[in-house]
Amino acid sequence: MRVLLRSIILIVMAVAALLLLIFGPSSEQRPPAGREHDLVIHYWEKWVGAEGRAMQGIVDDFNNSVGLQKHIYVEYLSISNIDQKTIVATAGGVPPDIAGLWDGTFVQFTALDALQPLDDLAAAYGITEGYYKPVYWNACHYKGHLYALISTPASVALIYNKKMFQENAAALRAYQCDPDRAPRTIEEFNRYADALNTYIVGPDGKKHLDRAGYIPMEPASNWYVTELPFWFGGDEWDPVNRRFTLTDPRVVQTYDWVQSFSYKLGEDAVGEFSGAQGGFNTPQNAFMMGNVAMEMQGPWMANFIHQQNAKMDHDWAAAPFPSAVPGLENVTYCPWDGLMIPRGCKHRQEAFEFIAYVNRQAVMEKLCSIHCKNSPLTHVSREFLEHHPNPYIRVFEELASSPNAHTTMQCPIAPEAGADILAMIQGLVAMQKDPQNGKVITPAAALAGIQRRITATWKNYLKQEQRRELAQGGG
Amino acid sequence: MMRWISKRSAPGVVATYAALLIICAIAIVPFLWMISTSLKSDEHVSDYPPQWIPIPTVLSNYKTAIRTSGVDFPLWYRNTLIIASLSVIGTTISSAIAAYGFAKIRFRGRGLLFGLMLATMMIPFPTIMIPQFNIFEWLGTHTGTRWIGTFRPLWFPWWFGSAFNIFLLRQFFLTIPDELSEAARIDGCTEWGIFWRIIVPLSRSALIVVALFTFMFVWRDFLAPRVYLQHPAQYTLTLGLQAFQAQNGNTPWNLLMAASVMVIAPLIVLFFLAQKTFIEGIATTGLKG
Amino acid sequence: MARSNPEARNFLKGIAFLSPWLIGFLVFMLLPIGLSLYYSLCDYSILKPPVWCGVDNYRLLFHDSLFWQVMRNTFYYAGLSLPLGLVATLGAALLLNRRVPGQSIFRTIIFLPSLVPFVASALVWMWIYNQKLGLLNAVIRIFYVPLNALLRLLHLHQHSPIQPPWIVDANWIIPALVLMSIWGMGNQVVIYLAGLQDVPRELYEAADLDGANAFHRMWHVTLPMISPVIFFNLVTTMIWVLQVYDVPFIMSAGTGGPNHASYLMTMYLYDNGFFYLKMGYASAIAWIQLMIILAMTGLAFWTSRNWVHYQGK
Repeated sequence: MRVLLRSIILIVMAVAALLLLIFGPSSEQRPPAGREHDLVIHYWEKWVGAEGRAMQGIVDDFNNSVGLQKHIYVEYLSISNIDQKTIVATAGGVPPDIAGLWDGTFVQFTALDALQPLDDLAAAYGITEGYYKPVYWNACHYKGHLYALISTPASVALIYNKKMFQENAAALRAYQCDPDRAPRTIEEFNRYADALNTYIVGPDGKKHLDRAGYIPMEPASNWYVTELPFWFGGDEWDPVNRRFTLTDPRVVQTYDWVQSFSYKLGEDAVGEFSGAQGGFNTPQNAFMMGNVAMEMQGPWMANFIHQQNAKMDHDWAAAPFPSAVPGLENVTYCPWDGLMIPRGCKHRQEAFEFIAYVNRQAVMEKLCSIHCKNSPLTHVSREFLEHHPNPYIRVFEELASSPNAHTTMQCPIAPEAGADILAMIQGLVAMQKDPQNGKVITPAAALAGIQRRITATWKNYLKQEQRRELAQGGG
Repeated sequence: MMRWISKRSAPGVVATYAALLIICAIAIVPFLWMISTSLKSDEHVSDYPPQWIPIPTVLSNYKTAIRTSGVDFPLWYRNTLIIASLSVIGTTISSAIAAYGFAKIRFRGRGLLFGLMLATMMIPFPTIMIPQFNIFEWLGTHTGTRWIGTFRPLWFPWWFGSAFNIFLLRQFFLTIPDELSEAARIDGCTEWGIFWRIIVPLSRSALIVVALFTFMFVWRDFLAPRVYLQHPAQYTLTLGLQAFQAQNGNTPWNLLMAASVMVIAPLIVLFFLAQKTFIEGIATTGLKG
Repeated sequence: MARSNPEARNFLKGIAFLSPWLIGFLVFMLLPIGLSLYYSLCDYSILKPPVWCGVDNYRLLFHDSLFWQVMRNTFYYAGLSLPLGLVATLGAALLLNRRVPGQSIFRTIIFLPSLVPFVASALVWMWIYNQKLGLLNAVIRIFYVPLNALLRLLHLHQHSPIQPPWIVDANWIIPALVLMSIWGMGNQVVIYLAGLQDVPRELYEAADLDGANAFHRMWHVTLPMISPVIFFNLVTTMIWVLQVYDVPFIMSAGTGGPNHASYLMTMYLYDNGFFYLKMGYASAIAWIQLMIILAMTGLAFWTSRNWVHYQGK
C-alpha cells in the first residue's frame, strides 16, 4: 500500500510539474515599477562589456525621457550569435522589435524580406540623405529603400607604432623611409615593412622572425583582408552589373601582395604571428605586445591599447592606409553596426521612436565616443572631436567622409562569398600547394576557382529568386 | 574476479602499471592544466615556459568570471538543471514503459517495430533538426503556447522514449526471468501491475544508468539549445560558455578556464557519487547481446 | 475464437505500452524525416514558404567542390578516429581489467574526460594546442632533444616542425581533432569493461591448461568473447564521428578552417541552413549524411557475421 501511495504521489508530482511547465509563466522579464502599462519594445543587441553598458545607458536615457512621455519602455538584451538568432526568431514568428545587426548580414536579410523598410519613418523625423555621410547612407539602402539606421559606424586606417619607427630609424633610412611619418603609397609601405622586420636566432640555430613590420593576417580574427582590393583600385563585386569580379587584375594584384609577405617572411612566421599569439582583446595581441609595427584597424584601437597596454598610449599613431594606385587617396573601408526592425514586429512606430532617438546628434556622438568610433553624421561637433578617446579621430572622420570610402558588397550572398574568400586567403597565406603539381597555389588560380564557384552559387540564387516570384505571382 | 593473472606475471603487472600511468596522465593532464590556468593572473597566463603552479594564485578569477558582463552562472545552472531534470524524468518513465512492451509482451509486429526503433538510433540529429524546428513553430502558432524560444522543445521529446534508453532497458528486462511475471499473472495481476510492481523495482540499477546517461547527455548538449533558445535568461551552461567565449572575440584564457571548471564540476561530482552503481549498471544490462 | 482473443489482447497491450514511443516516433522522427526529404527537394529559406525545385539541390551538391572537400574532411576525420579510438579504448580496457592496485581510481580517471561538455573541452584543448603558449608544444620543447633525434632517425625532420602549428594549420588540424576525440572516449572503455566482466573464467582456465600465453589468451578468448561489445562500440562511434559538430566548430572559431580543413558535414549543413538560409540545400546534405550512415552501418552489420560471436541467447 505504501509503495502504491508513493508511486501515485510521484506520478501526480510529475504530471503537475509537467502541466506547470507547459502552461505556466515563461521566464520573461517584467518592466520596472510604474512602467507596467507601457509598451515594451524588445531590443536585441550584440554588445557586452563596456560597449554594452554604453548602449544600456542610452536605453536608460531614452526610457527616462522620450519613453516616459510616450509610454514606451525599451528592454535591452545582449544576445550572442545575434544574426542567426534573429533569423530563427523571425522565422519562428517571435522576432525582436529592434535588432542590432551588422553590415555583413544586412543585405542577406533585406533580400529575403526579413526587415521592414523605414523610408517613411525616417523622413518623418528629418533623417534624410544629407544627414549621414554618403557611404553610410548608401550602405543602409537596398534596391532604393532604407532598411536600417546606424548605431555605431567605423572606418579603418593604418595604425602604426611610432616608437618602433624611432627605434629602427637607422634601418628605415637605409630603405629610404622617413621614420617620422607613415608610408603614403603601397610601394613605400613595402619598404617600411621590410625595414622593420627583425630576426633572432632560435633554439634550433635558425633565424626566426622576432618582430614584423606588417603581417596581413594579424590579428587572428583576420579582420579586413577580404576588403583589401579597395586599396588597389579594385572590387570583388560589381554592383552595377550585379556580378562577382574576383578575377579582375586589380583583385589578383591585391592578393599577390598579400601572399608576398608569406614568401618574404616564410609561412611559418606568418602563421605564428597571426594564429598563435592569443586573441585580439588580450595582452597577447601582437600589435599591443610590440611585435608588429603596422596594421589596419579601426578607431577602437585607442580604447583597446589603453586597456591592454596603457604604456603604449603615446607610442602609436593613425594615418590613411596607403593605396597602390597613384592619385587614389583616403581609401577606407567602413564597417557599421545598425538598428533594424524585423518583419513581424507589430510596433514599428514605437520601435523607430528609439532608433530616431539614437540618431540624434548629441546621443549618437555620446554613443560613438564611448565605443571609440567615428560618427556617421555629416555634421560633427567640435566637442566630439576634441573629447574623443582616440587622439587621431580626425583621421578616421576624414576617411569616412572621403569619396573613396567603401562598405560591404551589396550582394545577398555576401556571407557565403565572404567565407569562401576568407578561406581562400588563408590558403594563400599558408602557401598551400596544389596537390596535382606540387607548386604553391597562386592567387590568380585560387581566385579563378572561387569566382567559378561563387558565380554558380549566385546564379542559382537568382534562379531561386525567380522561382519564388513566380510561385507568389501565380499562387 | 580476474584471478587468472597468476603470480608468474609480476613483471607484467609492472608493465601494466606503467602503461596505465601514462594513459591516465594523458587523461587527467588537461583537467589539471585547466584548473592551473584558471588560477593564473592576467600577466602570467601567457608565460613562456608556461608555469604549472600559478604564482600568484588568483582565486578571484572565479568571482570575476561569474560577474563578467554577459555571464550569469547561477542562471545557467538553473536552466540546465531544469531541462536536464525534466528530460531525465520523462525518458526514464517513457523508455521503461516502452522497453517493457518490447521485452515482456509477445505480439505481432514486435520485431518489426523494434528494428525500426533501432534504426532511429542511426538518424543523426542534423537531419531532423530543421523540420523539428518547423514542427515546434507550427505548434506554437496553432496551440497558443510558445515553443520556440522556450525550454519546451529541449525536454518534451524525451517524454516519448529515446531509442538508446529503450534498447538498454529492454536488454535488461530480458534478463529478468519470465517465471516472475507468470506467477504474478496467475495471481491476477494486470500487465501494468507486473511492470510497476515487479519489473521496475528489480531494475533499479539499470534505471539509474539510463537516468545518469541521459542527464550527462543533456547537460552537455550544445546543438539543440543553440537552435531553440534565444533570450540570454534561458541559456544553458554550454550555450553560455560558448557565448562567453565568442562575444569578446577571445576572452582572457584564465577566466575562460575558470568558467569551464564551473561547468564541468557538477558532472564530475555527480559521477563520483554514482560511480559504483553506474559501472555495475552497465555491466548488468547485457549490452553485449 | 478463444485462441485469437489472447493474441489480440496481447497486441493491444503491446501497443499500449509502446504508445509513448510510437507517438514520439511518428511526430518527432518520421514526420521530420519526411519533411526533411521534402525540403531537400525545394528552395527553402525558412523566412518564406518552400518552393518545389525537384532534384536541383542534389545536382548542385554534386557539382559543389566545397561539399566534396567537406566529405573528404569528414571521412578523413572518421577514418582516423574510428580505428585509432577502437585500439586505444580496447587497449585501455584490457589494461584496466587486470588486477592492479588502484584499479578503480584508474578507471575513474579514464572515464572523466567523456563527462566534459564538448564546448568546455574544445576550449581547453584550444589552449593546449596553442603553438607558442600551449601545453603540448611546451612538453615537446622539454623533450626536444630525444624527439629531434627520433625524427631524424625516421627521416621526418624535414617535414615536421619541432613546434607543430596544430590547429592553425590545415594539415595539422584534423589530427589535432582526432587526438582530442580519442581523449574523450572514456565511455567506450567503461562499456568494454562491462563486457570483459562477462567472459567466462573457464575459458581462460582452459586456455591456460593448453599453455597459452597472454597474447594468445587475448586473441583467442577475450576478443572473440567481447566481439559483440566491440561491434556495439564500433557502430555507435561510427555514427557519432560522422556527425560531430561542437568540437570542430569551437576549435575553428566557427570558420571550419583554416581554409576549410576542419569543415565537417554537420557544420556545412548548419551553415547552409542557418547562415546562408538555404534550408533546402541543407536538408539535401542531411539526407546524404543519413544515407552514408545507413550504408556504413549496413556494411558493419554485414561484415559482423564473420567476426562477431554471440554467446547464444
